[in-house]
Amino acid sequence: MSATLAGVLLIVLSSAIEGLAQVCLKQSAGASSRKYRWILLGVLLFICEAVSYTGALQRLDVSTAYPMGALSFVSVTLFARWMLNEPVDSRRWSGLILIIFGAILIAT
Amino acid sequence: MESRSKSKHRLAVGLALAITLDTAGQLLWKFTADTLPSSAALWPTVHAVLGQPLVLVLIALFGCQLINWLKVLEYADLSYAQPITSLSYVTVCAFSAFMFGERIELAKAAGILCIFCGVWLISQSKPRIDAQRST
Repeated sequence: MSATLAGVLLIVLSSAIEGLAQVCLKQSAGASSRKYRWILLGVLLFICEAVSYTGALQRLDVSTAYPMGALSFVSVTLFARWMLNEPVDSRRWSGLILIIFGAILIAT
Repeated sequence: MESRSKSKHRLAVGLALAITLDTAGQLLWKFTADTLPSSAALWPTVHAVLGQPLVLVLIALFGCQLINWLKVLEYADLSYAQPITSLSYVTVCAFSAFMFGERIELAKAAGILCIFCGVWLISQSKPRIDAQRST
């Protein structure tokens, strides 16, 4: 596997972890008890994300890695829709498609 | 009137600071990542991270960023503030070319523009505010 491909996969992984971390923080806001468990899980996930993003920066230009990190908007929306049943309007879907398209342009 | 223009001024400073901290954080993170051993093994990397003092500077920068961001959100809606701070995609790109000699090809520039527009569109979607839960 080339270093670039590994870097791109690490960015996708970082973005996915970010989505889960944000869902945890949102869960903590709605939880009536044991809020701190969700916050702790969220913070742990953020640490995992930092490790994965550091690995990506070792393999990619920061001008590639940073804008691609906007893929986290995509994962946050998908996880919020699937796990929290949050509604997603058409403007948001179009924004996400633009972000995915932009990330593909940068990665190739 | 005076206090209103004062908050406007503070908001502008806060947004500029947010973009600056975002940019500085990314550049420093890249610089730090390049000082780490390139081995794919996790533990030697973690060991190197703990021994790298720049990591502390980086964590301090993120702390400042968080405090400043929360301050900005006191003065402005997220949907207004977020697309403005996504200007940091442009500044990170410009400074990475200047400091690390990274090349900005046409495809990369077009991709960044797409992402910027996408973030702007997302910020235009209407928030659902749950009034029942906030009581």
